[in-house]
Amino acid sequence: MTFPLITSITEDEIDLNTLLDAITLTSTGAAAIFTGMVRGVTTRDDPHETTYLEYEAYKPMAEAKMKQVAEEIRARWPVVEGIAIVQRIGRLYPRTPTVLIACTAAHRDTGVFDAARYGIDRLKEIVPVWKKEIKPDGEEWVEGEYHPRPGE
Amino acid sequence: MNKIKILFFATLRDKAGVRSTEMEIPAGVAVQGLKGILIEQFPNLNSQIMDHCLASVNQEYRFDEDKIPTGAEIAFFPPVSGG
Repeated sequence: MTFPLITSITEDEIDLNTLLDAITLTSTGAAAIFTGMVRGVTTRDDPHETTYLEYEAYKPMAEAKMKQVAEEIRARWPVVEGIAIVQRIGRLYPRTPTVLIACTAAHRDTGVFDAARYGIDRLKEIVPVWKKEIKPDGEEWVEGEYHPRPGE
Repeated sequence: MNKIKILFFATLRDKAGVRSTEMEIPAGVAVQGLKGILIEQFPNLNSQIMDHCLASVNQEYRFDEDKIPTGAEIAFFPPVSGG
Protein backbone atom coordinates (compact mmCIF):
# COMPACT_ATOMS: atom_id res chain seq x y z
CA MET A 1 0.00 0.00 0.00
CA THR A 2 1.02 3.60 -0.43
CA PHE A 3 1.51 5.59 2.75
CA PRO A 4 0.46 9.24 2.88
CA LEU A 5 3.17 11.84 2.23
CA ILE A 6 2.81 15.61 2.35
CA THR A 7 5.70 17.88 1.34
CA SER A 8 5.11 21.59 0.99
CA ILE A 9 6.68 25.02 0.85
CA THR A 10 3.90 27.46 1.71
CA GLU A 11 3.22 31.06 2.63
CA ASP A 12 0.12 29.97 4.54
CA GLU A 13 -0.23 29.24 8.25
CA ILE A 14 0.77 25.67 9.16
CA ASP A 15 -2.41 23.81 10.09
CA LEU A 16 -1.37 20.97 12.41
CA ASN A 17 -4.84 19.40 12.69
CA THR A 18 -5.30 19.11 8.92
CA LEU A 19 -1.80 17.69 8.43
CA LEU A 20 -2.18 15.20 11.25
CA ASP A 21 -5.53 14.04 9.88
CA ALA A 22 -3.95 13.48 6.45
CA ILE A 23 -1.20 11.17 7.80
CA THR A 24 -3.32 9.20 10.28
CA LEU A 25 -4.38 5.72 9.13
CA THR A 26 -6.75 3.34 10.87
CA SER A 27 -3.61 1.43 11.96
CA THR A 28 -1.95 4.57 13.40
CA GLY A 29 -1.56 4.83 17.15
CA ALA A 30 1.24 7.37 17.51
CA ALA A 31 2.49 10.56 15.92
CA ALA A 32 5.78 12.33 16.63
CA ILE A 33 5.54 15.98 15.69
CA PHE A 34 8.35 18.51 15.61
CA THR A 35 7.62 22.13 14.96
CA GLY A 36 10.03 25.04 15.09
CA MET A 37 8.99 28.62 15.63
CA VAL A 38 10.56 32.07 15.42
CA ARG A 39 12.43 32.70 18.70
CA GLY A 40 12.04 36.34 19.69
CA VAL A 41 14.57 36.27 22.53
CA THR A 42 17.76 34.20 22.28
CA THR A 43 19.72 33.59 25.49
CA ARG A 44 22.13 30.83 24.37
CA ASP A 45 25.51 31.52 22.70
CA ASP A 46 25.00 35.01 21.23
CA PRO A 47 22.13 36.57 23.26
CA HIS A 48 20.00 38.88 21.12
CA GLU A 49 16.46 39.79 20.11
CA THR A 50 14.81 39.01 16.79
CA THR A 51 12.20 41.33 15.28
CA TYR A 52 11.21 38.90 12.52
CA LEU A 53 12.62 36.37 10.04
CA GLU A 54 12.25 36.58 6.27
CA TYR A 55 12.31 33.11 4.63
CA GLU A 56 12.85 32.28 0.98
CA ALA A 57 13.06 28.99 -0.88
CA TYR A 58 14.11 27.52 -4.20
CA LYS A 59 10.68 26.01 -4.27
CA PRO A 60 10.80 23.17 -6.84
CA MET A 61 14.16 21.91 -5.56
CA ALA A 62 13.06 22.33 -1.94
CA GLU A 63 9.96 20.21 -2.46
CA ALA A 64 12.03 17.58 -4.32
CA LYS A 65 14.55 17.48 -1.46
CA MET A 66 11.72 17.17 1.10
CA LYS A 67 10.56 14.07 -0.80
CA GLN A 68 14.15 12.78 -0.64
CA VAL A 69 14.17 13.32 3.15
CA ALA A 70 10.91 11.37 3.39
CA GLU A 71 12.40 8.51 1.34
CA GLU A 72 15.43 8.45 3.65
CA ILE A 73 13.09 8.27 6.68
CA ARG A 74 11.19 5.35 5.13
CA ALA A 75 14.43 3.52 4.32
CA ARG A 76 15.61 3.85 7.94
CA TRP A 77 12.28 3.39 9.74
CA PRO A 78 10.04 1.15 7.61
CA VAL A 79 7.47 1.19 10.45
CA VAL A 80 6.66 4.85 9.74
CA GLU A 81 3.22 5.20 8.17
CA GLY A 82 2.51 8.80 7.20
CA ILE A 83 5.01 11.66 6.82
CA ALA A 84 4.33 15.41 6.62
CA ILE A 85 7.14 17.93 5.97
CA VAL A 86 6.07 21.58 5.68
CA GLN A 87 8.20 24.74 5.58
CA ARG A 88 6.50 28.11 5.79
CA ILE A 89 8.21 31.03 4.01
CA GLY A 90 7.76 34.79 3.91
CA ARG A 91 7.93 37.25 6.82
CA LEU A 92 7.41 35.41 10.11
CA TYR A 93 7.26 37.00 13.54
CA PRO A 94 8.29 35.58 16.95
CA ARG A 95 6.13 32.73 18.29
CA THR A 96 5.02 31.79 14.76
CA PRO A 97 5.55 28.14 13.71
CA THR A 98 7.88 28.04 10.67
CA VAL A 99 8.39 24.34 10.03
CA LEU A 100 6.67 21.06 10.83
CA ILE A 101 7.81 17.45 10.56
CA ALA A 102 5.33 14.77 11.58
CA CYS A 103 5.69 11.00 11.37
CA THR A 104 3.01 8.47 12.30
CA ALA A 105 3.33 4.81 13.27
CA ALA A 106 1.32 2.07 14.91
CA HIS A 107 3.06 2.49 18.29
CA ARG A 108 5.31 5.04 19.98
CA ASP A 109 8.17 2.60 20.66
CA THR A 110 8.86 1.99 16.96
CA GLY A 111 11.48 4.69 16.38
CA VAL A 112 8.91 7.27 15.34
CA PHE A 113 10.47 9.94 17.60
CA ASP A 114 13.87 9.34 15.96
CA ALA A 115 12.28 9.47 12.52
CA ALA A 116 10.88 12.97 13.14
CA ARG A 117 14.20 14.09 14.63
CA TYR A 118 16.03 12.80 11.57
CA GLY A 119 13.55 14.65 9.35
CA ILE A 120 14.18 18.08 10.85
CA ASP A 121 17.96 17.51 11.00
CA ARG A 122 18.05 16.51 7.32
CA LEU A 123 15.77 19.38 6.26
CA LYS A 124 18.26 21.78 7.82
CA GLU A 125 21.07 20.15 5.81
CA ILE A 126 19.76 19.71 2.27
CA VAL A 127 16.43 21.53 1.67
CA PRO A 128 17.20 24.84 -0.09
CA VAL A 129 15.54 27.38 2.21
CA TRP A 130 17.23 30.45 3.71
CA LYS A 131 16.26 33.01 6.31
CA LYS A 132 17.28 36.59 6.89
CA GLU A 133 17.17 37.72 10.50
CA ILE A 134 15.90 41.24 11.17
CA LYS A 135 17.01 42.58 14.56
CA PRO A 136 16.35 45.90 16.27
CA ASP A 137 19.78 47.12 15.11
CA GLY A 138 20.14 45.62 11.65
CA GLU A 139 19.67 42.53 9.51
CA GLU A 140 21.74 39.58 8.29
CA TRP A 141 21.32 36.33 6.40
CA VAL A 142 21.54 33.24 8.59
CA GLU A 143 24.02 30.89 6.96
CA GLY A 144 24.02 27.13 7.38
CA GLU A 145 27.12 24.97 7.71
CA TYR A 146 26.36 21.81 5.79
CA HIS A 147 27.92 21.14 2.39
CA PRO A 148 26.07 18.28 0.64
CA ARG A 149 28.16 15.55 -0.96
CA PRO A 150 27.62 13.95 -4.40
CA GLY A 151 24.43 11.91 -4.30
CA GLU A 152 22.72 14.10 -1.73
CA MET B 1 26.90 27.10 -27.49
CA ASN B 2 24.66 26.13 -24.58
CA LYS B 3 21.87 28.47 -23.46
CA ILE B 4 21.36 28.15 -19.70
CA LYS B 5 19.34 29.78 -16.92
CA ILE B 6 21.05 30.85 -13.70
CA LEU B 7 19.33 31.54 -10.38
CA PHE B 8 20.81 33.21 -7.30
CA PHE B 9 19.41 32.95 -3.78
CA ALA B 10 19.98 34.71 -0.44
CA THR B 11 23.48 36.24 -0.10
CA LEU B 12 24.37 35.24 -3.66
CA ARG B 13 21.37 37.17 -4.99
CA ASP B 14 22.37 40.22 -2.95
CA LYS B 15 25.90 40.05 -4.40
CA ALA B 16 24.84 39.38 -8.00
CA GLY B 17 22.12 42.03 -7.81
CA VAL B 18 19.67 39.85 -9.80
CA ARG B 19 17.44 36.85 -9.06
CA SER B 20 18.09 35.17 -12.39
CA THR B 21 19.83 35.58 -15.71
CA GLU B 22 20.16 33.70 -18.98
CA MET B 23 23.41 33.29 -20.86
CA GLU B 24 25.12 31.26 -23.53
CA ILE B 25 28.20 29.31 -22.51
CA PRO B 26 30.47 27.07 -24.58
CA ALA B 27 29.46 23.40 -24.73
CA GLY B 28 31.26 21.21 -22.22
CA VAL B 29 31.78 23.84 -19.53
CA ALA B 30 31.68 22.45 -15.98
CA VAL B 31 30.36 24.17 -12.83
CA GLN B 32 33.82 25.50 -11.99
CA GLY B 33 34.13 27.09 -15.44
CA LEU B 34 30.74 28.73 -15.09
CA LYS B 35 31.80 30.18 -11.73
CA GLY B 36 34.72 31.83 -13.50
CA ILE B 37 32.40 33.29 -16.15
CA LEU B 38 30.09 34.68 -13.45
CA ILE B 39 32.98 36.22 -11.50
CA GLU B 40 33.94 38.13 -14.65
CA GLN B 41 30.38 39.21 -15.36
CA PHE B 42 29.27 40.22 -11.84
CA PRO B 43 31.67 42.67 -10.13
CA ASN B 44 30.56 41.73 -6.59
CA LEU B 45 31.03 37.98 -7.04
CA ASN B 46 34.54 36.73 -6.30
CA SER B 47 36.29 33.38 -6.04
CA GLN B 48 35.97 33.28 -2.25
CA ILE B 49 32.18 33.59 -2.46
CA MET B 50 31.86 31.15 -5.37
CA ASP B 51 34.14 28.56 -3.72
CA HIS B 52 32.05 28.62 -0.53
CA CYS B 53 28.59 28.54 -2.12
CA LEU B 54 26.54 25.49 -3.12
CA ALA B 55 25.48 24.78 -6.70
CA SER B 56 22.59 22.84 -8.19
CA VAL B 57 22.04 21.78 -11.79
CA ASN B 58 18.45 20.95 -12.73
CA GLN B 59 17.62 20.94 -9.00
CA GLU B 60 20.24 18.41 -7.90
CA TYR B 61 23.41 19.29 -5.97
CA ARG B 62 26.38 19.42 -8.34
CA PHE B 63 30.09 20.09 -7.91
CA ASP B 64 32.97 21.88 -9.63
CA GLU B 65 33.91 19.09 -12.00
CA ASP B 66 30.32 18.32 -13.14
CA LYS B 67 29.59 19.26 -16.77
CA ILE B 68 26.58 21.48 -17.44
CA PRO B 69 24.00 19.84 -19.72
CA THR B 70 22.19 21.63 -22.55
CA GLY B 71 19.51 24.08 -21.47
CA ALA B 72 20.20 23.50 -17.77
CA GLU B 73 18.88 25.53 -14.83
CA ILE B 74 21.76 26.23 -12.46
CA ALA B 75 21.36 27.78 -9.02
CA PHE B 76 24.00 29.23 -6.68
CA PHE B 77 23.30 29.77 -3.00
CA PRO B 78 24.86 29.66 0.47
CA PRO B 79 24.60 26.59 2.77
CA VAL B 80 20.91 26.27 3.61
CA SER B 81 19.34 27.72 6.78
CA GLY B 82 15.71 26.61 6.77
CA GLY B 83 13.70 25.18 9.63
